[in-house]
Amino acid sequence: MTARLEVLAGVVLGALVVALTLAFGDKALLDVLMRLAIFGLLALSLNILVGYTGLVSFGHAMFFGLGAYSFGLLMQSGAVSIPSAALITLVVACIWGGVVGTFCIRLDDIYFSFLTLAFQMLLYSIIIGWVSLTGGDQGLMGGIPRPPFLGINLAEPRQLFVLIVVVFVVCVLAIRQIVQSPFGFALRMIRDNAERARFLGLPVQRYKLIAFVLSGFFGSVSGILMSLYVSGAYPNFAFWSMSGDAIFMIILGGLTVFLGPLVGAAVFLLLNDNITRLTEHHGIVMGVVLLAIVLGMRKGFLDVLDEWWQARASRAEARAGGDRQ
Amino acid sequence: MNPEALLACLTTPACIVTQVSAGMIIGMLIFLVASGVTLIFGVLKVVNFTHGSFYMLGVYFALTAYGLTGSYAVSLLAGAIGVGLFGVVFERFFMSKVYNADVLMQLLVCYAFILILDDVVKTVWGGDFLKMGMPEEFALPPIKVWDGFVPPFYAFLTVFAVLIAVLVAALLGLTRFGKIVRAAAVNRQMVSVLGINTSLVYALIFGLGSVLAGLAGALAAPVRSAVPGMGFDILIESFIVTVIGGMGSMGGAFIAAIGIGLIRSFGTIGFPLATEGVMFAIMAIVLLIKPTGLFGRRAA
Amino acid sequence: MTARLAITGLMKRFGGVVATDNVTLDFAPGSLTAIIGPNGAGKTTFFNLITGKLKPDGGEIRLDGVDISGQTQSEIVRRGIGRAFQVASIFPRFTVEDALTAAVLTHRQQTSSMLRRFPLPDAASRAREIMALVGLERVGKTPSRYLSHGDQKLLDIALALALEPKVLLLDEPTAGMGPEERWQMIERVQRLWSEVGMTLVFIEHDMDIVFKIAQTIRVLRYGKVLAEGTPDEIRSNEAVIEAYLGTSLEEPA
Repeated sequence: MTARLEVLAGVVLGALVVALTLAFGDKALLDVLMRLAIFGLLALSLNILVGYTGLVSFGHAMFFGLGAYSFGLLMQSGAVSIPSAALITLVVACIWGGVVGTFCIRLDDIYFSFLTLAFQMLLYSIIIGWVSLTGGDQGLMGGIPRPPFLGINLAEPRQLFVLIVVVFVVCVLAIRQIVQSPFGFALRMIRDNAERARFLGLPVQRYKLIAFVLSGFFGSVSGILMSLYVSGAYPNFAFWSMSGDAIFMIILGGLTVFLGPLVGAAVFLLLNDNITRLTEHHGIVMGVVLLAIVLGMRKGFLDVLDEWWQARASRAEARAGGDRQ
Repeated sequence: MNPEALLACLTTPACIVTQVSAGMIIGMLIFLVASGVTLIFGVLKVVNFTHGSFYMLGVYFALTAYGLTGSYAVSLLAGAIGVGLFGVVFERFFMSKVYNADVLMQLLVCYAFILILDDVVKTVWGGDFLKMGMPEEFALPPIKVWDGFVPPFYAFLTVFAVLIAVLVAALLGLTRFGKIVRAAAVNRQMVSVLGINTSLVYALIFGLGSVLAGLAGALAAPVRSAVPGMGFDILIESFIVTVIGGMGSMGGAFIAAIGIGLIRSFGTIGFPLATEGVMFAIMAIVLLIKPTGLFGRRAA
Repeated sequence: MTARLAITGLMKRFGGVVATDNVTLDFAPGSLTAIIGPNGAGKTTFFNLITGKLKPDGGEIRLDGVDISGQTQSEIVRRGIGRAFQVASIFPRFTVEDALTAAVLTHRQQTSSMLRRFPLPDAASRAREIMALVGLERVGKTPSRYLSHGDQKLLDIALALALEPKVLLLDEPTAGMGPEERWQMIERVQRLWSEVGMTLVFIEHDMDIVFKIAQTIRVLRYGKVLAEGTPDEIRSNEAVIEAYLGTSLEEPA
């Protein structure tokens, strides 16, 4: 699909969802869709690293938490409007991503995962410890003011819903463009064989860092949306289990197919809500589901389909005279 | 921030003794967990992210055993053996299935078990803080050192942990088993061809690493409150220690663990809010200057 | 004629072992050279030194007169020394065409764009040229991991070609192949060399292949140059026969 077609499809689908929901949906559907957009964006942004660059970050929630807290605090200060608070937050997230990323990409494989996790726990402990600023384990108290801007009033749920969908669509299209660009394919080269990519002359470390910052950028966008949605920010946004959930979503949906993480987020939220409703043993059930997927399929649902499709296509090519032996 | 208090402590022998002994037990607990992670990684090339949860299990096993028997010796054994057996089962039935898969799959198996174990512990022991209290064996007057006092259990914990470290080092360095393990770490296939059951070796190493975590848990039980999810902090700290000390270097981990323990202990006086920050800053500096850690060997 | 690649007094030690011992060799522009020698003779080390994977302990490596020893791998690649690996080093999840397009983009330093779409038409057509050159167009849409062993080796070579190297180093291009596949491979390599007109150096164990296609042969042993010359000269070189090749050369190839 070309870039133009994708933009068209994204806009049409987004408009359709918004129109249908506003026309027929109730408050519950609005909530479900907003959460799906927020967590879908979180998972998609993480997949820039996990699925496309081959870097398994276990600390992605740091951007989620950073986005939510930074935005929330700026709004609570009362000094800035929503757009400028969002802008400042994104700049902060990029700087944090740049600094933390510089350290993390020095290590490979599991050590990268561990180091991202460690930096996330650093942020978490700052949030918990700096009570006077962040409200500690109570979270940002008193709600986040949402003053109108440019004629948009986000205190009104339907307007908030439209904004979240619009931001979501724009971000998804942007991520799609990035992973389909020459840069995105350079990231795939690093994922597949970093040593060979380096030998072809690719500045591997620099590209990893850029991917890290980009992933953090979109992750913090989802954090901003989250703080708008719940009108607050809570320490669990930056807790390790949030990072774990994001990875969980990716593996549920699949990491090789672009929209896999979004599908995964949908399945995850469905599972999560129903399990919470049905049983107290949330952790046990989620853990067993995860084990079943990892040990049973070893990849996500869409990955299985994609693999099957590719294998079929290459067999077809082989039949068409590819294999001479 | 309270530099005056820190200075005051550093000029008072009694305070130094108290803080050093507190720092030593923090450091030794981190070291035991870290050495388990390092041992498993060194041979099996997988990082056991559940090691913090194993530590937690050790605490709870020890609590229950102490409640049943009233003997701390038994609860040490329960922690060590219980977690060791659990580790072997975990390795055989789950971790060994993803040795050849990528890091993501290994991490997810561990994550699943962290979720499950936290929930299981909550179901069995409840979600509230539990305390063992000081075992009767150690209800003794404190030991006077210099001008300060050291609780006898602190001294026991420190000496015991060092002893365990020496034992493990001897096991790996001097015995035939150690020879096999070191060979398997370098070339599993070759060892396998020589007729040694490497799966058994792997399970034993995983079990040994788990014993270390279980022991750490049992040693922590008298001085820490037990709560589901308590394993995570020590997992992070043990990782920081391995990075600073150098991956695969037990000696490095030992020294770094003591360092981190002392920072935590003195930090609570001088910079209570910044202790985490200082730990991370040290790790960051080490990574910048020497990415392989202070005592790490450069990869070929 | 001045050498394209001139190596003078190259040294490399690993601990006490001298892996490359005062090696001095010239490679003329457009030449086709085989490097042979028993296992452990230091052939792969020699390649690793030229490509910057290992840092030499002494000596010079001059490419068109410029000393490149001590430069990083990516600098050396950019200067025009390409390499294919003993075990094919490819991008498993890329299709052949995408892998080559990405390699061409990397070579042209066009990978930084996030606003354009992969594949850029220029790079894609260059990729197809390379595919045609090495004979991979029949599997262009196949993910690399599904390729046969031989095709993976070909792709590895093709990736190196994407960098438009002046000198191409092939580390055992026929390793792990059956006899028939070997000859196909080596014919391709030879055709490639004659069509592209670059300087080609390859390590090979199959003496039939070496003596059939190489213009010059260099024999390494214990990290030293034991002999060099045309296949006929090597065939009759006493030192080579005695030290390494034994009597097997007396038999007709």
